[in-house]
Amino acid sequence: MASVTLRGLTVSLDGAGPAALRDLTLEVLDGELLVLLGPSGCGKTTALRCIAGLEHPTAGDVLIDDRVVTRVPPADRNVAMVFQNYALYPHLTIGENIGFALEVRGASRADIDRRVAGVAARLGIADLLARRPDQLSGGQRQRAALARAMVREPAVFLLDEPLSNLDANLRVELRAELVALHCALGATMVYVTHDQGEAMTMGQRIAVLHEGRLLQVGTPAEVYQRPADVLVARSLGTPAMNILAGRARGTADSIEDRMFESGSLRIPVALPTYEGEIQIGVRPEHVGVCAVDKGAGNGDILIVELLGNETVVHLNAGGQPLIARLPGLVDVQVGTRVGLKVDRRHLHLFDASGVRIP
Amino acid sequence: MTGSRRWTVMTAALAAIIALAVLGAARWKEGRFARAGAVRIARSTAAYFTIVTPVNKADSADLDLTHLFAQARALATLPGWVWPVEIYHGTAPLVDAGGEPLPAAELDRVPEWRDGAALVPLRGRSDGTPATVVGVAAIRPAHPGGVAALWPGWGIPAALLAVGVAAAAAAGRRSRRDVIVAAVLLGLAAYADVRGAARRSSNDWLTATRLLMQEAATRLPGPRIRVTLSDLMPLTLGGAELVWGDSTTQEPRRARLRGTQVAVVAARLGSGRWADLRTTPAEAFTGVWLAGLLALALLGPLGFAALEWGERTAAGEVREAATAWAFLAPAGLHLAMFTVAPMLFTLYLAVHGASGGFLEPVRPYIGLTNLRAVVRDPLVWGSLATTALYALYVPVTTALALAVALVLRRPGRAALVLRAAFVLPVMTSGVAVALVAQSFAGLGARDWLGSPRSALLVVMVLSAWTQLGAQMMVFVAGLQRIPDTYLDAARVDGANAWQRFWRVTFPLLKPITLFVLVTGVIGAVQMFTYVYVLTGGGPLHATDVIMRRVFEIAWDSLEFGRASALSLLVFVLLLAVTALQFKVLARESRVEHA
Repeated sequence: MASVTLRGLTVSLDGAGPAALRDLTLEVLDGELLVLLGPSGCGKTTALRCIAGLEHPTAGDVLIDDRVVTRVPPADRNVAMVFQNYALYPHLTIGENIGFALEVRGASRADIDRRVAGVAARLGIADLLARRPDQLSGGQRQRAALARAMVREPAVFLLDEPLSNLDANLRVELRAELVALHCALGATMVYVTHDQGEAMTMGQRIAVLHEGRLLQVGTPAEVYQRPADVLVARSLGTPAMNILAGRARGTADSIEDRMFESGSLRIPVALPTYEGEIQIGVRPEHVGVCAVDKGAGNGDILIVELLGNETVVHLNAGGQPLIARLPGLVDVQVGTRVGLKVDRRHLHLFDASGVRIP
Repeated sequence: MTGSRRWTVMTAALAAIIALAVLGAARWKEGRFARAGAVRIARSTAAYFTIVTPVNKADSADLDLTHLFAQARALATLPGWVWPVEIYHGTAPLVDAGGEPLPAAELDRVPEWRDGAALVPLRGRSDGTPATVVGVAAIRPAHPGGVAALWPGWGIPAALLAVGVAAAAAAGRRSRRDVIVAAVLLGLAAYADVRGAARRSSNDWLTATRLLMQEAATRLPGPRIRVTLSDLMPLTLGGAELVWGDSTTQEPRRARLRGTQVAVVAARLGSGRWADLRTTPAEAFTGVWLAGLLALALLGPLGFAALEWGERTAAGEVREAATAWAFLAPAGLHLAMFTVAPMLFTLYLAVHGASGGFLEPVRPYIGLTNLRAVVRDPLVWGSLATTALYALYVPVTTALALAVALVLRRPGRAALVLRAAFVLPVMTSGVAVALVAQSFAGLGARDWLGSPRSALLVVMVLSAWTQLGAQMMVFVAGLQRIPDTYLDAARVDGANAWQRFWRVTFPLLKPITLFVLVTGVIGAVQMFTYVYVLTGGGPLHATDVIMRRVFEIAWDSLEFGRASALSLLVFVLLLAVTALQFKVLARESRVEHA
């Protein structure tokens, strides 16, 4: 097992245009499952390919177990990668696919057969070894791709959106299997995804990337509860966090009296110093409804989504869109006006550029 | 009227129209054979009078009228002579002296056919110079008499049967297979009638000419002791053979002579002196009619199936199908005219003999004689060996093209320019390339094209150079089709560049490689231009590839049948080679990029 360290990693893919990665510094601990989360084009796959050695950074270093491998070819890094489209060699059987890495490294036939059989049995694809990739279902291909990575017992597993081509049910099933596999192997894994659900459920830590920059890294709870950035805040949680833009107003001597205004909402905010333009994040579950004029402001109900265990209400609070997530089935009518309560204990404050105000 | 009744009537009407067309075509051809037979007999008859009648004493270009009159009368009453005959001296009829005289204008320009009679100019004798026309010989085709006259031929009963079967099938009482069988029967029956007429026309001419020769043998104006074959030669009209024989069969018969079918009759030219008169039987030329009449007759079942489909199918769908066919028609027509028809014509030429011209209308069927001649030709085998040797440049070029493609596959300005440089020869005219190459080959101390040891090599290098670019482009396209992730996966798996190529890229390129090889070999076998321009097959047949051999047999020897047979042989060989390539190379090439 091994740790992976990225030190000031910068990648410009074609010389021109914005860099795919900008000064990324990140450490993946030994045996950890770290999720790289971000929208497509954020550089997460580029970072993974840099670790694999398929991409060369313009600047910065990649370290595996404190060894600088920036210029080391993929073959000598002892890493295995699972590709988004699995990249199973279409002209080889599943068995040959799994054994390919051992074969090109000159392992003996008996050794290859034994190890392929072992890993195939472990992933439940022992009866598929003679088939070709195009004869397999998506889930089976996924397992075959995993088996191909596992058979070498690499120091680091790199998984590039391995579940994104599967349907929803299978995705949930396989994600649990992957977590179990990680526990059993105790391997270091870097898992790239754009799916916050996968990130939250699988990652021991989550690194959130945006436009090539690392926004925040931390445990799922940390990242969820104390997002370092508006973008991080909005990238975790469904529905996404409400972000209210407005001015904090008040007098300098009385902290308690400072009021934040956005649309029809007036929320008392405690700030150590007067800031002016700020943004407030509040998760939908921390927005409640009450009688008109009894809360922080009023809002018109636009959409009501009854989900059974909860009700999601989309509102227009004086021009400021707002989503409230109410427990259970709540009887509210579209088009009516309600008062809005905001849980002040769960406010996230960001400055005008989106950085968290501590 | 119910739909099914209407359908029955339509089907019967269609069957009747097709049957009438088949019968009409057959009858027309029968008439042509009868007419051709009469014309031929008339020519021989005219030749007979020219050699047996003494010349006029006053005008040596004319024939003696008294003798001509007597001999015309004698011919009309000759036992076994069944063809109504009239001989005009000038415009005056001699046999039926009270008959219509010939219009004077027709003597200058004798029409071949008038009022059911064949007219042929009767010429006086001459020594070398073209003889003047002194009259006309007229022959009417003989009509079968007796019981034979009652026989309506095979065509009419078969046509009635075909219409009946079609109607019954429309009513649901006969299967579609019966309709096809009836149509085939109709085609065969109509052909039997045509063939019968052809056979009859040959037999009639043989019989008539036999009688004329036997008469001439006794009537040739003296002084001579014995008739010679050359005396009688004019009666054969040049197209037939006359040889001494020992056969005594005075009925026309068919025999095989030197692998060809001939029609023969024996003529008795004196006591114990028999001659064989041989000609190519007219029915040997009727093979096309068999195919044509069968095809015409089979339009019946085809139309039947179309009507049946139209009956079962909704009107909108019928319209849609009609529209689809209308759109397909131009391409189909093009394909039929410029691909299928030449192929069929090649096939036809390959199994038919010819005595000269390329587009000679009638050719006897000679089966595999052409093929046999081609196979026995040592030059053909030499050419095949040369072609095989020449084709060895293909795998070499393919390997080079793959190597170049691997280097130039990445996008970039330099790669683009280099690719264009490689592709340029592909877009250049082959003749121009060859001419430039010729001037290069003439440079230096050695005459590369003049030596049998190096000429083929020059052609191979030239071909490789022009083919390289085309093959490279195909490989570049193929390489770009292979997703990068396979190679990424292989790199992470630890494969080095060599392993990545042999274990990943090359197997994934297999279908492309197969395509390039197969088309390359086919192209190599078809290569003609360079050899034609550069070496003409020489020196010493060193560059005599198979297509040049085909060309030489066709256009230098004018043996189009043999050239066609060789083309077909090459086609079959290519088919076999291609099948072999597929078998060897394509085993695991069905690859989908999952």
